[in-house]
Amino acid sequence: MISALSLFDLVLIILLLWLAWHLLSARDLFRATVLFITYGLLMSLAWVRLKAPDVALAEAAIGAGITGALVLVALGRFGEAESDEAEPGSLWLRGLVASAALGLFALLGWAVWSLPTEMAGLKAQVFERMGESGVENPVTGVLLNFRAWDTLLEMAVLFLAVLGAWSLGEAEEPSMPAPGESLLALVRLLIPLIVLVSGYLLWLGETAPGGAFQGGAVLASGFVLLLLAGVRPIPSLMGWPLRAALGSGFALFLVVAVAVTGGSRMLLEYPPGWEKGLILLIEGVLTLAIAVTLGVLFAGGRPPASPGAGKRGEKR
Amino acid sequence: MTMSEFYFGYALFLLLTVAISLIRVLRGPTSGDRMLSAQLFGTSGVGILLLLGRGMEMPALWDVALVFALLAAVAAVAFVQRVWKSGEQKEAKSDAS
Repeated sequence: MISALSLFDLVLIILLLWLAWHLLSARDLFRATVLFITYGLLMSLAWVRLKAPDVALAEAAIGAGITGALVLVALGRFGEAESDEAEPGSLWLRGLVASAALGLFALLGWAVWSLPTEMAGLKAQVFERMGESGVENPVTGVLLNFRAWDTLLEMAVLFLAVLGAWSLGEAEEPSMPAPGESLLALVRLLIPLIVLVSGYLLWLGETAPGGAFQGGAVLASGFVLLLLAGVRPIPSLMGWPLRAALGSGFALFLVVAVAVTGGSRMLLEYPPGWEKGLILLIEGVLTLAIAVTLGVLFAGGRPPASPGAGKRGEKR
Repeated sequence: MTMSEFYFGYALFLLLTVAISLIRVLRGPTSGDRMLSAQLFGTSGVGILLLLGRGMEMPALWDVALVFALLAAVAAVAFVQRVWKSGEQKEAKSDAS
């Protein structure tokens, strides 16, 4: 008899393929959006079944809290200009595209098939030296110590993404209904919980799945919620404090990376005994930087030059 | 039947209810119906994760369930605040034509 778990996996895979097909072929953008949100949540379950709870947690936080809202807001901005009734290309062209896609699929399938089924990777080395990492969760150990270089560069990528978004223009003032009583009540209830859970996930990263990215994504959904409820950011914080927060993750990481160098130690090689403290410091700042970065990306542009500040400048 | 089989069986049942609710995403008819189907998955997802966490003996999944439950409302708020009105108007228009 097939076990319930393998049936679960089978249904999950069928659902993922079915959703992917329908969301790509949907002509109605809203339908595609809802399918995309569901797809993200199902992907989180797929990561769970692949026994990667760290990724599942990140996918849940980003999928439920950020991308869903982001795609919905983008759809709201499209408004009526959505129906894109593109003419399907000629049969010849479609055949060409289909065979190219099938060829790529076959190539990828072959690559996956030819992988050895039992692959330890670098797992043994990581577990052997976990004691030196300063933390107990191997994923955090790899991300913040053994391969901290990758995480440092990821922060640079996030920072560059904000620079790119800001250079495109100012964040538009969205037209939306005034928040009702229930929405305000929800925000009042959720924001403290979001802050709490974000801190909890950050702290958890030392011993269990969690950490700066998960905590940061949850905190960022708090910003998303505030923006959606029409809560305006404090203007005096939109100048250099915002920019400082955006750059803080990358900057602090870089400072630590360089500061620990010296003698026989290489870049990012924490001195023995300092690992845990340094990792906690970096993760704490990273959480805030990631949250602000994602929040700013959700707002979709640089903060508009406040009219008040402009007028004051003119008087002088 | 072992206890973990029992948890997996219930998780499978919840996943099947999600699959059935996807019919509403495709059929609609209003955008609200579609959105609520996605919201239902937020709720069922919490149940599935709690059951899998017990069955697979991975307590970390309870934290994933916590995040699911906490943030499920964010997409719904985005929908109500930014999409809903224009969506309903559009549907009213297509009904008239």
